[in-house]
Amino acid sequence: MLCISMHECCLLLFLSVVCGPIFADVSKTQNEETGLIGWKLKQGNMELELVQRLPDQTRAFFLARGFPAGIADDLGRSCIFQTILRNTGTDAGVSLALTVSLKDWRVSQGDASRPLKLKEAWDQTWPDALVSKSARLAFRWATFPSTQTFQSGDYNWGMISFGLTPGTRFDLRLVWNEADKKHSAQIENLICAPDR
Amino acid sequence: MKLLFMKSGLLIFFTLFAPALNAEQMTPLPDNKPAPALLLPDMDGVKHDIRDYRGRPVIINFWATWCPPCRRELPSMNRAWKKIKDEGIVMLAVDVGEDEDTVFTFMADYPIDFTVLLDSSGEITARWPVVGLPTTFVLDREGRLVYQAIGGREWDNDSLLDKVRALK
Repeated sequence: MLCISMHECCLLLFLSVVCGPIFADVSKTQNEETGLIGWKLKQGNMELELVQRLPDQTRAFFLARGFPAGIADDLGRSCIFQTILRNTGTDAGVSLALTVSLKDWRVSQGDASRPLKLKEAWDQTWPDALVSKSARLAFRWATFPSTQTFQSGDYNWGMISFGLTPGTRFDLRLVWNEADKKHSAQIENLICAPDR
Repeated sequence: MKLLFMKSGLLIFFTLFAPALNAEQMTPLPDNKPAPALLLPDMDGVKHDIRDYRGRPVIINFWATWCPPCRRELPSMNRAWKKIKDEGIVMLAVDVGEDEDTVFTFMADYPIDFTVLLDSSGEITARWPVVGLPTTFVLDREGRLVYQAIGGREWDNDSLLDKVRALK
């Protein structure tokens, strides 16, 4: 019989609350059917998942929303990951807001480091004559917001372009604010999906 | 020793899953601003003005058919609607940036029994504080923004619905 006293139970609950923010790790999984790889980072209340998208998946998505083939191909070959970011905080009356600004994130390969190409930058490169309003609207909502605040329990999905060619390996340094405190982490050896 | 293992297992369980047990939450919006204007057609072309729902709490969800978390949460919204439809609460789903045919086809696989509005141009949604899809707001009887939830939720969870019921 499992017998736990009240104070042991309180200790377990205390540890469950305290230990969550202490552990930070990156795990990697591979989808058995598609072969696509996903990386998950958990640090404090921030949980980030990056999942490879095949160039063909991205091309097909944007072609279906009215993008011309050339631009859909540019997007497809720009190392897009499906991104899921979640604030796992349970908020017991304390503000646990988590703010992410993609302009602070850096892609690095060896000693070279550079910022991401954000959705606003993509949008500006397309002439009005080539990309319709409805296609731009689909792009806007399908891509991850450049800046967003997540309250406890909030999450969002969206595509992020890392601007590298298919099959490239890179490291990602990410930065976020949690309860007004700056945090950072690095995910190493990410791989852009191959163009197969 | 066996007891120690069991206690350790319980500790790991709490550490890993305690946050998930309380995952269904909405964020109270502190300043309770009036909701932006919203006048949109439903699937039959009938226009709905958000002001017409004053006097009743409103749950309004912004979504799109291609959005995976939207597709995941919609069945729970439909179940929630079955719970609250006779309780004087309004539930609306605003599809962003798609046409009627796309939404109609989608609804063959994902039945939605509450009112679906179409913001095909996205212009109305742009006036609301929506950053990502899905985003859901709860309005009080005076049409003020009271709660926000970014990302999907299990809307038939009574811990969420009770907060809406409390606004009646």
